[in-house]
Amino acid sequence: MSELILQALYSGLLQGGSYALIALGLALVFGAMRVINLAQGELVLLSAYIAYSVESGLGLNPVLAIPIALVVVCLTSALVYFVVGRIKKDREINSLILTYGIGVILTNGMLLVWKADIRSTSSEWMQEAFVLGPFYSMRSEVLFFGVSLLMMAGLWWWLSRSWYGRAVRAVSSNRDAAKLMGINPGYTELVSFIVAGILAAFAGVALFSYGVISPAYGGVLTVKAFIITVLAGVGSIPGVLIGAVLLGVAEALTVTLASSALQELAGMGLFLLVLFIMPNGLFGVRGRRG
Amino acid sequence: MLQLDKVSVRFGGLTAVNEVSLEVGSGDVVGLVGANGAGKTTLFNAISGLVRPTGGAIRFNGADILHAPLHRRARLGIGRTFQIPQPMHELTVRQNLIVAQRFATGRVDESKIAEVLAFTGLTEKADRDAASELALTELKALEVAKALATQPKLLLLDEVLAGLETNGKRRFMQMLKGLHEAFGVGIVIIEHDIETISQLCHRVAVLNFGQLIAEGKPAQVFSDPAVIKSYTGA
Amino acid sequence: MSMMTNMNANMNENMSKTRLLALLALCVGGPLLFAQDHYVMSLLVASMVIGGIALSWALLGNLGGMISFGHAAFFGVGAYTSAVLSMKFGVPVLVALLLGGVGALVAALAMLPVLRLRGPYFALAILAYAHIFRILATEWTSMTGGSGGLSNIPPLPTLLGLDLSSKSGAYFVILSIVLVFAVIYARLRESHYGLALRAMHESEDATRVVGVNSVVLKGMMLLLSAFMCGVVGAFNAHYISFLEPDYAFSALWVTIPIVAAIFGGYRSITGPVVGAVVVYLLDQLVFKNIIPSGHQLVLGGLLVAMIVFSPDGLLPLLRKLFKGKFTRSKHAAT
Repeated sequence: MSELILQALYSGLLQGGSYALIALGLALVFGAMRVINLAQGELVLLSAYIAYSVESGLGLNPVLAIPIALVVVCLTSALVYFVVGRIKKDREINSLILTYGIGVILTNGMLLVWKADIRSTSSEWMQEAFVLGPFYSMRSEVLFFGVSLLMMAGLWWWLSRSWYGRAVRAVSSNRDAAKLMGINPGYTELVSFIVAGILAAFAGVALFSYGVISPAYGGVLTVKAFIITVLAGVGSIPGVLIGAVLLGVAEALTVTLASSALQELAGMGLFLLVLFIMPNGLFGVRGRRG
Repeated sequence: MLQLDKVSVRFGGLTAVNEVSLEVGSGDVVGLVGANGAGKTTLFNAISGLVRPTGGAIRFNGADILHAPLHRRARLGIGRTFQIPQPMHELTVRQNLIVAQRFATGRVDESKIAEVLAFTGLTEKADRDAASELALTELKALEVAKALATQPKLLLLDEVLAGLETNGKRRFMQMLKGLHEAFGVGIVIIEHDIETISQLCHRVAVLNFGQLIAEGKPAQVFSDPAVIKSYTGA
Repeated sequence: MSMMTNMNANMNENMSKTRLLALLALCVGGPLLFAQDHYVMSLLVASMVIGGIALSWALLGNLGGMISFGHAAFFGVGAYTSAVLSMKFGVPVLVALLLGGVGALVAALAMLPVLRLRGPYFALAILAYAHIFRILATEWTSMTGGSGGLSNIPPLPTLLGLDLSSKSGAYFVILSIVLVFAVIYARLRESHYGLALRAMHESEDATRVVGVNSVVLKGMMLLLSAFMCGVVGAFNAHYISFLEPDYAFSALWVTIPIVAAIFGGYRSITGPVVGAVVVYLLDQLVFKNIIPSGHQLVLGGLLVAMIVFSPDGLLPLLRKLFKGKFTRSKHAAT
């Protein structure tokens, strides 16, 4: 029994990597623009479907889909940015509805192109077992977990050392002051959308490589990413990773101990738990409301 | 009526209010002065309920209100104006007052609303289009009117004169002078202008870096060397 | 200056009263003409269902200040509550409808802690709840029939000689429901609570400082919106006589009402309902013919276009274009 649990923990950990990438995409855009891109999950799914097409259409390993996915998803993400930028008032609320609408367009677009069937990779290389001590996983899971860690490290470095990172922090705390300092908020926001696209592209290929996809899954991914940001609180990359792993583990445990149908409930349950007990997330900043 | 007992408010590492003790009786008009950032508005926030003190006790008419939510304090009789007016933009002036009175006292009394409107000079503008159309002077008057509509026992005025030009200032001074007699409220008023405070208040309390450094009659307090130092900075 | 405003106000009031009567006449008279055509009638019934959801959604948005993506939760819970109560416990259908609303209200109680979250967080949290309820409905097989769903749900009864389960009968039931809700909404909006609620949008603190218990008020709006949506969901269950989780909690019950409400102008009361009829008919008669399996795509596109070009709705935009000649439309608190 305990081996089952340990195995579930391990699988959850690996899954957490990709979840973290999606959540980070959401958090980046929110940090730069105070906009939650409800279509983020669909962007990830788009990348996954591209991986599928590369595999089934060209017979190539899904990893090779990454360059194409990067281009397509980043372009789409930039497009979302431009449309969001057209909103004239009440940006917080209207961007919600807007990105929701974009999500609907994407989901149904994918439905039209790729049909409703559930897909997953048939690449044997990806599915090959990878044994680490007592733990079993697919090669793809470990591979992409490593990739996610690399990306997160890169992102962290970039945010803290590069011009962009400082620009985002400036823009999100005081937009006008940032402008006076020569930072172009529009450009910063565009960059954040594109980086979110990059993260989504990788997460999508990962997802296809070790999971199953269907058009409806986009919305589910967005909700999961959102749950992770709630778990992690505001402004903390390690926090997001830990939150993502928590979610992955909770899901894996639920599947192992209960049933796979209840998998989604795990995330929701975790979410509600955090809401009630720790409203500022695990790593959030405590407010001082009276 | 209002008893602040060693009230402290800490934000992370910053102590905005440091063990301030103050008493305000129902007949008092107390001035609260201090340099910018001295903690005056934070103290008001603590009294009205926007911020929870990290230490000390607040009693209002004998009852401990430290844990009372904002709206309860309003219903108990604590009225407050904001330094930057926060009217209910989409509503008319009259509707602003109706909402204030209805929810703070449970009833709407047309005559009392008319009284407040007349006192603050807003009767003409009462039913115009939305409050968002008012000029600054009128907005500030509305802030006071809103607070008065709640039929408070204690009125916290946060820099009502700030940003007004001479005429407006004069009218407001007249209004503030008559406030105490007309409505029988205890008042605590934050202002920067020494002259204003001296004219309006029986007592003055001086805050510096969150601490109460002086309290007493205006003439007394303003000639206190410690107070002068805190104003001129040293 | 103020006389002009008064004149305009009166004119607008009269115009809106006339418009209201015209709409009412259309709602009641129109179907009487089509009573024989089952297809048209079923379209009208369905569009009224959407209208009901759109109204409850708009109420939450306008008075509660909260955008929700999870109204499918209330719809589905209302549907299942009513269906199960009438099937397993023999509750008369019309009573079950109300209890369906109560069921949705109870579901909303579980959502109250989420109220303190700001806009986007609230919207998504509600969405998460919707997922939870869908999964519950799928898994709680003993009560809800699981993924297979419930069939042969008792139909609407015959009342005073009118068979409410017929297309026309059902239409009048849902029309009455929507009308009653619209009246409640209107009354609420004009009341002191309505004023306070609208003031709360920009500055909750400013209202709390004058004694408004904003938390309780917002909570009440959530419960009311849930109740309304639940009743509509319950109606739909008995009208269709069949229920399954993916249908009851489908994203369509979220998307179409939002499109409808925004299209018709979600700030008004008639807007969402009129918008629902127009959008639903457009969807069924036009979009479905262009792209049968992805017609939702067009809906999404419509939503995006509206937010970008006319977030206050398309109908209000049209109205403004026509009125632009002789009215300076600046209303305070209508």
